[in-house]
Amino acid sequence: MTLRWPALVPPRAAGAFAAAVAALAALPALLDLSAYTHNLVTLTFLMVAGALAWNWMGGFVGQVSFGHAAMFGVGGFVAARLLLAGAVPAPIAWLLGGAAAGVFALGAHPTLRLRGPYFSIATIGLGEATRLLFTYWEDFTGGSSGLSLPIDPDLKFRLYWWGLALVALVAAASFLIRRSALGLQLLAIKADVDAAADVGVSATFHQDLVFALSGAVVGVTGGLWASYFSFIEPNDMFGFDRSIGFVLMAVIGGVGTVLGPALGAVIFVLLRQYLLASYPQLYLGLYGTLLVLIILFEPLGLTGLLLRLWRRAARRPEPAPAAAGGGR
Amino acid sequence: MARFVDLAVSAVLLAGLYATMAYGLGLIYGVLRVVNLAHGGVIMAGAYLGWVLHERLGIDPYLSIPVVLASSFGLGVVTYRLLVRHLPRGPAGGPASLLLLFGVWLVLRNAAYLLFTGNDQAIRTAYSTRSIALLGSQVSVNRLAVLGIAVLTPVLLHLLLTRTYLGRAIRAVAQNADSCALVGVDVERIYTLTFGIGTALAGLAGLLSATLFSFNPGFGSGELLKSFVVVVLGGLGSVLGTGAAALILAVVEVFAILVLPSYLTAAVGFVMLVLVLVLRPGGLFGHRILG
Repeated sequence: MTLRWPALVPPRAAGAFAAAVAALAALPALLDLSAYTHNLVTLTFLMVAGALAWNWMGGFVGQVSFGHAAMFGVGGFVAARLLLAGAVPAPIAWLLGGAAAGVFALGAHPTLRLRGPYFSIATIGLGEATRLLFTYWEDFTGGSSGLSLPIDPDLKFRLYWWGLALVALVAAASFLIRRSALGLQLLAIKADVDAAADVGVSATFHQDLVFALSGAVVGVTGGLWASYFSFIEPNDMFGFDRSIGFVLMAVIGGVGTVLGPALGAVIFVLLRQYLLASYPQLYLGLYGTLLVLIILFEPLGLTGLLLRLWRRAARRPEPAPAAAGGGR
Repeated sequence: MARFVDLAVSAVLLAGLYATMAYGLGLIYGVLRVVNLAHGGVIMAGAYLGWVLHERLGIDPYLSIPVVLASSFGLGVVTYRLLVRHLPRGPAGGPASLLLLFGVWLVLRNAAYLLFTGNDQAIRTAYSTRSIALLGSQVSVNRLAVLGIAVLTPVLLHLLLTRTYLGRAIRAVAQNADSCALVGVDVERIYTLTFGIGTALAGLAGLLSATLFSFNPGFGSGELLKSFVVVVLGGLGSVLGTGAAALILAVVEVFAILVLPSYLTAAVGFVMLVLVLVLRPGGLFGHRILG
């Protein structure tokens, strides 16, 4: 009798994923989207990529970061500077921005080899300190008046597919991380740091690695963001509200699930676009109430809710644990 | 030299405020192992409550202390009974309680925006600008009063924790909740009261800050960070350690003005937090559980 290692990528899941990406790529041509919808979907892609990357740290390792805006801003401003200098084509600038953000995360992180609430509160400090530094570093960021990039409608139009490519990469990476040995190691760290260390899984190393990767992706997102808006300003890019946004998207969709944060990001953008445009004075309270309700009643967010409904529809009152694990 | 004395005096006065902010956070973490991320929100709420009582009803901020203590105690009890109680305990509940209390903070902030708009407010009394000479430097009467209350608070807290049944029960629950249940201590009731007391102290800190600084609904995030620095630096639970840690933070912050551009002084707390966590994760004075 031989043990079969489960396939890293089940063929059916890979097929469904490829079909979904292809459908989204063809969407503008098929449906003749208005410029407004086209741009809204682009923006959603950026949020989805950021939320999925935040989830690597907040969900897979279980370290809740309230400071991801720091990497978002670093990536955005490095990319914007490179674009302004005209030194490299846009995709290279975004990648270099992401690399800078990853290095920034790595540089900040060894000083914060912290866990649990210590980590979370330190990230609040990291975010605020970074915002202050960059706001006053006017030579680089333009201070409170920000940086304006040359407006390029063609590039903005094509950002749809760049954003989609980023989402596809990040979603595939989320899936692979969860299915690979790395994902199991992260789960072990999340469940019990000391026990993980006993079997040779270093919390410090893995946490650094994931924080840098997560920061790099969020940095790339920041670069695309800069190209999308053609104007960036430190208090917005590094703002606490932006850090909160990453947390909320992941929590709404399902912290620690593989693709839940993507769903959360879609809801987040729609809420912001349709509901909060009419009631801007209520957005903090609405997000706060959502956080409280989700944590109390459905810690896995919308993903947990959907799983529950699906089980009920399939009339399986006692779901097999394996099915629950595979569904996430 | 005169400048030095001025700075030293203002550091001592600031330290009292920082210590008052930190007790509530430290007490709740020490007993429930929950970091109250709503702490900053309660500080802000305490400031606004004092402001409303002063502005609308003409009550002196120092006379409104009992009202602020009672209302924030009530807010803490409700938050615990309604929300925090239902979360899993221990490491598994860590991220959940952080996110939940963060949500409470957002709701408090939004409530303040709706009720009072985002404008800066301050409590101005007849004696706000009065000052007396002390050690050759002019000291505001307000700051002295704040320091007095800040010295009185830990004394009362210490007496409560060491001399009363409730205090002994709180310390016992902090050490081992399971054994407490065995000998007939109502653990849930102790958790509720501890959360209430911790929140009441945050409200008091907010009221005291409001007599010194201007505030708006966003007020409190810097205060949360500073409270956390003090709690970590002072080690959990020792009242004296908290006071010493608050003094260290205040001295470093105040004297940083001499060497750093003013916009960077806000980052001092963060740098200290990182240094303390990396160099002395157990705090300067080691671990002692409450008392």
